[in-house]
Amino acid sequence: MNPTNLSALTNAKPPSAALRRLTLAWFAIMFLLFPILVLLGLVMRAGQSNWLHKLSPEYFYAVMTLHGLGMVGLWFVAAMAVLSYVLKRYVSVSLWASRLAMALTVLGVGLLIACTLVGKFGAGWYFLYPLPLHPGGAWPAWSIGAFFAAIGVLGVGWLVWVLDLMRAVSRRYSLTASLGWHYLRGRTEPEVPPVVIITTVTLIAMVAALISAVIVLVLFLMEWLKPGFTNDALLMKNLTFFFGHLLVNLTLYLGVAVLYELMPAYCGRPWKTTRYVALAWNAVLLLVILAFMHHLYMDFVQLHAFQVIGQISSYLTSVPAAVVTILGLLALVYGAKVRWTLASLLLFLGVVGWVIGGIGAVIDSTIVANLRYHNTLWVPAHFHTYYLMGVVLMLMGAVFHVCQELAPMPENPGRTRLTIVLLCLGGYGFLMTFYYAGAHSVPRRYSSYPELLSKGVTAAQVSTFFIVLFLAGLVLYLWETGKRWRKAWLLP
Amino acid sequence: MAAALWLVVAGGMVRAQPAPVAPDLLRPPDENRYVDRAVPDVLLLRPAEPSVRLSNLWDQRPVLFTFVFTRCAGICSPLLHSLKAATAKVGGAGTDYQVVVASFDARDGPATMAAMAHDLGLEKAPGWTFAALSTEDVQRLAPTIGFWYRWDETSQQFDHPAMVVAMDHGRTARLLVGGEVSPVRLQEVMDQLHGKLVSIYPLPGKVAFRCFEYNADGRLRLHWGILLMLLPSLAAGALTVLIFQRRGRRD
Repeated sequence: MNPTNLSALTNAKPPSAALRRLTLAWFAIMFLLFPILVLLGLVMRAGQSNWLHKLSPEYFYAVMTLHGLGMVGLWFVAAMAVLSYVLKRYVSVSLWASRLAMALTVLGVGLLIACTLVGKFGAGWYFLYPLPLHPGGAWPAWSIGAFFAAIGVLGVGWLVWVLDLMRAVSRRYSLTASLGWHYLRGRTEPEVPPVVIITTVTLIAMVAALISAVIVLVLFLMEWLKPGFTNDALLMKNLTFFFGHLLVNLTLYLGVAVLYELMPAYCGRPWKTTRYVALAWNAVLLLVILAFMHHLYMDFVQLHAFQVIGQISSYLTSVPAAVVTILGLLALVYGAKVRWTLASLLLFLGVVGWVIGGIGAVIDSTIVANLRYHNTLWVPAHFHTYYLMGVVLMLMGAVFHVCQELAPMPENPGRTRLTIVLLCLGGYGFLMTFYYAGAHSVPRRYSSYPELLSKGVTAAQVSTFFIVLFLAGLVLYLWETGKRWRKAWLLP
Repeated sequence: MAAALWLVVAGGMVRAQPAPVAPDLLRPPDENRYVDRAVPDVLLLRPAEPSVRLSNLWDQRPVLFTFVFTRCAGICSPLLHSLKAATAKVGGAGTDYQVVVASFDARDGPATMAAMAHDLGLEKAPGWTFAALSTEDVQRLAPTIGFWYRWDETSQQFDHPAMVVAMDHGRTARLLVGGEVSPVRLQEVMDQLHGKLVSIYPLPGKVAFRCFEYNADGRLRLHWGILLMLLPSLAAGALTVLIFQRRGRRD
């Protein structure tokens, strides 16, 4: 590859003070919430280990709801914050939408904490219809309202932010250019970096996801507030998983967009858009929207054709996104003098986790396999893999990169290695207990396991050890990143 | 003196109409709460035939059970006519299933139920049983199948839901709630009672948007709700074009 445009990659124009502060504020939210959410996960596994006898089932499910929604929401906003920072190289990003999103995110998180930890709202992060409306005495009516308000507030803030980012892209690139359609015709001008193409694809799909959430919310509210109004359960489940599936996968793609932009700086080589990159990511736009149907395999009333579409699109989605990205990354690092820092290691290892989790996802999206694995711990195993050890590692790497770029400090290679080892050992060890339990048919979403499922108890007990290891690695990461964050924050 | 005593007793019988408090007062029963619940084995007081336990019937074949009262000026008669028509269309009454029409009104007895059967032309219909129940049996049975009744002083009538309960070996298999029994829904119930999978059926209530409609012939048809599934993607596409078009106008 020709090492062109490295100056653009390595000597990026410094951000404005306002953008710097805003980005750092988002990072502060991430630094605060991520360890808390991991601790909530630890509480859940400790409860399943029979070590927390005071943890009632109601609180288990409330904690599960907060942990799930919290993690998904946190990494979405972290990805958007990093992306907004990175995109400043190409487009003029406005700050008001990000500030609005931040205010509404803080409000939404507050409402979520209230409805779960105080109100014991425990319908799960997917709030599957009709459970939120029929608590059977487990949570009060106000917590239902608080939950819906939280979703509404978060959805509005994030939708405005997404639309504004799209507007920023549109000010420099036409729609066809931002989707890279000219590359499909063999032209390379205007040059559009992969981060813009992936961002455009992702933002379009994200708008669809958030609108779906709005529709679900409205339908829920109509049934809650209007006696006699009844929703169709199948429609609600389709809409809910359209939203949820897209939110998680698109967060992953935002992380991948950042990877395309940052990794070249560590490899001394550019990662340019080619026809294959453009083709792959345009295909992703259609496939990721259809793949959500794999969440309804067990709903035998779903139209058979939808189940088939779900499986085919789930298989095909992995080809463009993963194969093109993986081959591109391998080509980037192969034979290059890669600067392996905490950032580049986390970015690279994030892709590894994405691949491993993706394989688990493809297996689970096969209908005959899903018949066995559905509702076992295999499901959280695979999505924790491509999320925790995939996009989360990528974004942790990106956040460190940004902090290091703003406030350069020498890295301690020993501490870097220790951080990586603890995160990987802890993370993959924790995941292996999920895979083990899932392969032994231990069901998911159980607050405690009966005698028949004693393997679930053993797996949970072992997992707590690995979560503690992961937390130790996270503390080291926060220490290293926090130092740079603080120095950057104090810049004039 | 005897007349006065009779009046007191009769008045007491009317006033002492037990009105089980509805689990969800004034709302149609939610089938989800009653399916597969055990049904108490009550004694059916039949006209011109010995009394028989409900289990004597459901041990032989499934039972379609409905509560009515003979003085009903409302839904009972349309319900029974509808049930008669539906069973005639579906066929199998007396061979595949039994129909039991029972009164919850303490003023009804075997004689009034016989009169009701005669009015409907069902007194000799195979597979149809008209019966009265004791007050205690009504109070035992009604809550387990989601049936409630409430006396209305103004109209001097009972307020109650219209429903038919499919009972299979002492358990509720399905509830058909509503004043009209559709032959399609009844056929689904028969299919289910004979072990055939009925994968989808509509529940009562105003369901505004469905993805699909299911016909008894097993075919699914798209319904308006599918537009709600397409709306997010269409809206996203439209917003994208709008945002990028505004860029074009600025240029």
